[in-house]
Amino acid sequence: MGMLELIDISKIYGSVNALRNIGLTVDQGEWLAIMGPSGSGKTTLMNIVGCMDKPSQGAVILDGVNISKESAKNLTAIRRDKIGLIFQQFHLISYLTALENVMAAQYYHSMPDEGEALEALARVGLKDRAKHFPSQLSGGEQQRVCIARALINYPMLILADEPTGNLDEANEGIVLEILRKLHQDGSTIIVVTHDPEVAEQAQRTVVLEHGRIARIIRNTSPGPGAGPSL
Amino acid sequence: MKKQSFYVKMTVNSLIRRRSRMFVALLAVAIGATVLSGLITIYYDIPRQMGQEFRSYGANLILVSSGGESTLSAAGVESAKPYFPPASVVGIAPYRYEAVKINEQPFMAAGTDLEEAKKTSPYWLVNGRWPAGAGEALIGQEVADTIRLLPGSTFALTGTDADGAGFSRDFSVSGVLQTGGTEEAFIFMSLADLGEMAGDSGRIDIVECSVSASEASLNQIAAEITSHVPDITPRLVKRVTQSEGTVLAKLQSLVYLVTVVVLLLTMICVATTMMAVVAERRKEIGLKKALGAANSAIVREFLGEGLILGGLGGLLGVALGFVFAQTVSMNVFNRPITFQPFLIPATLAASVAVTGLACLLPVRNAANVDPAIVLRGE
Ligand SMILES: Nc1ncnc2c1ncn2[C@@H]1O[C@H](COP(=O)(O)OP(=O)(O)OP(=O)(O)O)[C@@H](O)[C@H]1O
Ligand SMILES: [Mg+2]
Repeated sequence: MGMLELIDISKIYGSVNALRNIGLTVDQGEWLAIMGPSGSGKTTLMNIVGCMDKPSQGAVILDGVNISKESAKNLTAIRRDKIGLIFQQFHLISYLTALENVMAAQYYHSMPDEGEALEALARVGLKDRAKHFPSQLSGGEQQRVCIARALINYPMLILADEPTGNLDEANEGIVLEILRKLHQDGSTIIVVTHDPEVAEQAQRTVVLEHGRIARIIRNTSPGPGAGPSL
Repeated sequence: MKKQSFYVKMTVNSLIRRRSRMFVALLAVAIGATVLSGLITIYYDIPRQMGQEFRSYGANLILVSSGGESTLSAAGVESAKPYFPPASVVGIAPYRYEAVKINEQPFMAAGTDLEEAKKTSPYWLVNGRWPAGAGEALIGQEVADTIRLLPGSTFALTGTDADGAGFSRDFSVSGVLQTGGTEEAFIFMSLADLGEMAGDSGRIDIVECSVSASEASLNQIAAEITSHVPDITPRLVKRVTQSEGTVLAKLQSLVYLVTVVVLLLTMICVATTMMAVVAERRKEIGLKKALGAANSAIVREFLGEGLILGGLGGLLGVALGFVFAQTVSMNVFNRPITFQPFLIPATLAASVAVTGLACLLPVRNAANVDPAIVLRGE
């Protein structure tokens, strides 16, 4: 049984069928990419998997728990304990420093720990930027702070919605390298991307079209450093 | 680091690192607190201020003799004085009246303590000056008109003294008195001068007292004098004391109403500002919830910010409110205001409570922000 199982889920917004009968299993330690044209339902899927939204129909089993039946309060707790989120628009808290932004995730999770937060920043190469505010960081640096924050509570699942969408090639390379390392260390990662180069790093690519799974591509030659293939 | 200290750090940073935004909210609270504490100061000071003001309309308590022999003595008056609270006494002026003649025309001479008379009757308009020593008199306008006297001129006063012997004495006019009332028919001089001429020194007919106090406390003073000094009968000048009471009650209820309205306005203002703050920070709230913040954590953060604003605004309000009340008092009453120390905790508590209350609705909105907006972007 997979760590994440989507069983026949659909999401309907009024007259819009954002997702239709999605069935998908993601295993522990897998790196999955999701591609598809704009409006195909990628973000909707991420929101459901990330416990921020519920499917209109179907079941989502995360780590053995059917999260499509949980209350908003429990979803918050599950999200806090099991999910690490990385966004396209970085989304750092503007009045907190890089370090404090990472510590905020610890604060909502359990206990803020400055040493651990600094270590997380060091892992993404930003130890010397700990005291900088988001406005004083480049886009690539902000995204790395975001990643450090997503990792700080050791989530079992990392969700990244177009993490490199707003980055130049150099920064995209740095972020991919970090994700690759995470994957090697055993993290389960789901990345939404428009960029085939990013998708190539994953073991499988799910292509969505009009809310349906159009096809699943198994990458025969995952990029350098990719983890154990299935 | 402890959880609480990170909470404090985050809340304080949110305020000081976004100070241009929070300044507006702080201003709203501070202005409300200022008007509030200022109005309350005025509310409590009105009786004192207006009491002083009312005292310019003359005596509000008079002392007369109780018995059949119609005279009061200076000694008797002295024994009544201890029953007046010293701080609220504006003036106590004894009067003695004698029939006299100038050029064979009858007039009334009034002997009094001129210094005290000046205090009990501040509305008297003296053309010239008040008598400064023996042999000087203040004459009413009517007297001056009848015998054509001007400040500086002299006249001879004649009459019969207590022993039935005639007297005659020269006086100089120090000033002419205009009051618009019966006082204009009198000739005022010191008690000593009158006693010297007419004999029977120490005799007093009536005592006019001007006391800055409410009708209730005047009644109490009167009751004490009645029971302790049987020779003297005190009487309230009802016309003055009652209208004072009515005006005071009306003024106070006006200020009270304005205070309530200001409180409501402040609440609306703070609530609107906080709503704007919440609306502006929807993304931040969504992000925090996406990071796993429980609704209670979001509520705690916004309430914390609101309460800090309330506290700071309240402190500012106490200081500015005093300045405000002082300015109003100086302009309206021409008198400095007394600071009420209890206003420090009261204003603080009120502004914290009002801000807290005003934050409730926007904070509930804040907690209801959907974390899904974070991935969607704008
Ligand atoms: N809250 C909502 N209310 C109504 N319709 C919505 C809502 N959220 C998404 N949709 C619709 O659902 C569909 C899928 O949206 P979604 O954001 O999942 O697309 P996406 O694949 O992430 O697109 P993009 O690549 O542009 O980010 C779209 O047609 C969108 O308009
Ligand atoms: Mg999207």
